[in-house]
Amino acid sequence: MRLHLESRRVPAALVLMAACGAVFQGVLRWPGSHGSLQIPLIIEAAAAAIVAVTTHSPFGESERATGRWLPYLRGGAAAGLTTASFAALLAGAVGANLLGGTEALLRDVAGMAGVGLLSAAALGGWLSWIGPMAYLALAEEALSSGWHTPWTWPARPPGDLGGALCAALVFFAGLAVVAIRGARAIGRE
Amino acid sequence: MNIDVADLTRRFGRNQAVAGVDLEAGAGVFGLLGPNGAGKTSLLRMMATVIPPTSGRLRLLGRDPGASDERREIRRRLGYLPQNLGYYPGFTVVEFIEYFALLKDMPPARVSRAVATAVERVDLGDKARAKLRTLSGGMLRRVGIAQAIVNEPELLLLDEPTAGLDPEQRVTFRELLRDFGERATVVVSTHLVEDVGAACSEVALMDRGKIVFLGTPEELRVQGESNGVGDSPLERGYSAVLAGARS
Repeated sequence: MRLHLESRRVPAALVLMAACGAVFQGVLRWPGSHGSLQIPLIIEAAAAAIVAVTTHSPFGESERATGRWLPYLRGGAAAGLTTASFAALLAGAVGANLLGGTEALLRDVAGMAGVGLLSAAALGGWLSWIGPMAYLALAEEALSSGWHTPWTWPARPPGDLGGALCAALVFFAGLAVVAIRGARAIGRE
Repeated sequence: MNIDVADLTRRFGRNQAVAGVDLEAGAGVFGLLGPNGAGKTSLLRMMATVIPPTSGRLRLLGRDPGASDERREIRRRLGYLPQNLGYYPGFTVVEFIEYFALLKDMPPARVSRAVATAVERVDLGDKARAKLRTLSGGMLRRVGIAQAIVNEPELLLLDEPTAGLDPEQRVTFRELLRDFGERATVVVSTHLVEDVGAACSEVALMDRGKIVFLGTPEELRVQGESNGVGDSPLERGYSAVLAGARS
């Protein structure tokens, strides 16, 4: 597990997530962001992008031609990092006014991490950040325009079941695809 | 038979990389020769279970790689060196090989001994603790060979294994191939006919996705006695067969 996590640059990802937590704390305490859902969402999308980029495998085909452990390692790493990103942002929100509360934070982070994992399966690990960033743009538009679809879950109220279900569906779909197939290999190694 | 291939094809869009290959191989060293774009790497990638065939039958070590549980069993018994080896530059030689040993389901208690043996076999004992980012291209190739052999594979697939090796290392490597060939099926894809002559018991020559010659290196030599061009008997055989296939 240690070698797998190291090869995916997970230690660096954890440092970046801690930095996201610190920035989150600063943003939530900044008077200009009071009452804003948009600005914290940017940090949440950044944390999701970090989760997605760690799916990149430096080993290519020689790793894909190995035994049964790889799907568990890939899935475990993605699930663990999503949990770590949620924990980092939750720690960053301590003592600050987190609109929507813990429930909405979990929903948004997990859902956007799922978008990132699906993006890794489609675009490859290095480009997977595009997914959460594109979803961020969509979610920001949904927030400012008042869309009601549950697929733009950050625009839904914290207790909204539809939004939570959509976010969970996207997260578990991304987790399954990345665990079973891995991030897409771009070009031939 | 460890490799049993019948009418195997592989398409990439409109390009037919492998066009109806039939092949059987048991223990021994099997050379796969051919010009660039002949389909050698695509055939090897199918045998390595990293891409599925478009059509045809492929059985490896008596199992069907199309079935997920059988594919897992094949992969445990497989060693594969791709044409371009991917690696994490922060790993040491030992860490890199250890990672692959663990991925190939080796019991953890056996891993460190197996890694040490593989490192010695490719003559990298003095670089065992060196980071991969500090190694030369030839050394990285040997690290790649070590990860492929660490699990004592029953099927060893090597794509251009001698690229970047100096003449002395190539001689050592051929000895390693012959040693493995006594108990496993080794398939070596290469451009270098001298590797085939020195190490292979059987050779297939591919051109435009098809096998145009199948026989021993000696039989390939004979093909070039009358009309081949090249500096060595095998090169003359190689060019004569290709010219015949294209005429």
